Amino acid sequence: MAEKPQPVKVLYCSICSLPAEYCEFGPDFEKCKPWLINNAPELYPDLLKEASEKEAEKVSEQLQSIGVSSSADGAASSARPGNALSSKQEDVKRLPGGKIKKKEKQEVVIEKVVRNRRKCITIVKGLDLFGIKLSDASKKLGKKFATGASVVKGPTEKEQIDVQGDISYDIVEYITETWPAVPETAIFFIEDGKKVPAS
Amino acid sequence: MFKKFSSEDVSSQNQVKASVQRKIRQSIAEEYPGLEPVLDDLLPKKVPLIVVKCQNHLNLVLVNSVPLFFNIRDGPYMPTLRLLHQYPNIMKKFQVDRGAIKFVLAGANIMCPGLTSPGGALDDEVEAETPVAIMAEGKQHALAIGFNKMSAKDIKAINKGIGVDNMHYLNDGLWKMERLE
Repeated sequence: MAEKPQPVKVLYCSICSLPAEYCEFGPDFEKCKPWLINNAPELYPDLLKEASEKEAEKVSEQLQSIGVSSSADGAASSARPGNALSSKQEDVKRLPGGKIKKKEKQEVVIEKVVRNRRKCITIVKGLDLFGIKLSDASKKLGKKFATGASVVKGPTEKEQIDVQGDISYDIVEYITETWPAVPETAIFFIEDGKKVPAS
Repeated sequence: MFKKFSSEDVSSQNQVKASVQRKIRQSIAEEYPGLEPVLDDLLPKKVPLIVVKCQNHLNLVLVNSVPLFFNIRDGPYMPTLRLLHQYPNIMKKFQVDRGAIKFVLAGANIMCPGLTSPGGALDDEVEAETPVAIMAEGKQHALAIGFNKMSAKDIKAINKGIGVDNMHYLNDGLWKMERLE
């Protein structure tokens, strides 16, 4: 061939670094959208329509709120539609297989299990969801209650802390004091169902 | 294959001798005749070629800190996707249908049904054990680079199992590494 093939210049999205047409498969299509509207409108003609539709919605809502209510209410309700529109919905995270990843609720679950007839252990689950290192937590618990405490792997990947003896009386107070990130309302005991400790 | 790839996977980085450089150029020229006129621009003779050895018997060929080709265990040299986007016609192309795109972009190998279904296209002359470019239905640019496990005729006939191994895909570790010091 006499002709030299010239390198093709590819437009790569500056947000996800993929070629512009693959942005919908990229990590965050929502972020790419504004960039795409500016730089590559011909690839996603629906985006332009969407953008203009949203604008029209916003304007009509604001007009409604100002027109319908009185001045005092008008200020409050015009703030509300603004908030509702700006707060984005959490995108449901999808794993490559198409399954939906469940959102984990942050709660600490305390369970009592009988080991011998006299002895029992208290199992504390869910501290790691608050960003607490389980090894440090188990050491502190053991020291405070002068018993043995260890980190154990549960039936799933989750880990839990086993503390020897029945420490349910003080455990709630201790957790909220040592780790202020855990609110009292997030701690549950297991008694054939869940019970909220407030007292 | 490059799902997890970072500069920590690199075990050594060496400038190669001129004789080795000539061998590499020759094997690339054989494998990709479409690249011959531009080979001098991509792999100039005077510029030192650096070969980076990584885990799993992987070698990367760098010019001016930019990875251009890679190969496994002295297999055929395959271009990086960035290079393939610039010169799309050097490799044979297979096309997969839309539904397969997101799986391929997560690193999955390409199964025969993805190539034989209505959205896919096969290039009949391709034999087994060759590198191919994987395009997507409705897209202009290559999605991934694969290595045939079965020839195109076998894929059509048997239509089961893995047809093409996914070696390098968009947004994998190698794609994210535009330069390597």
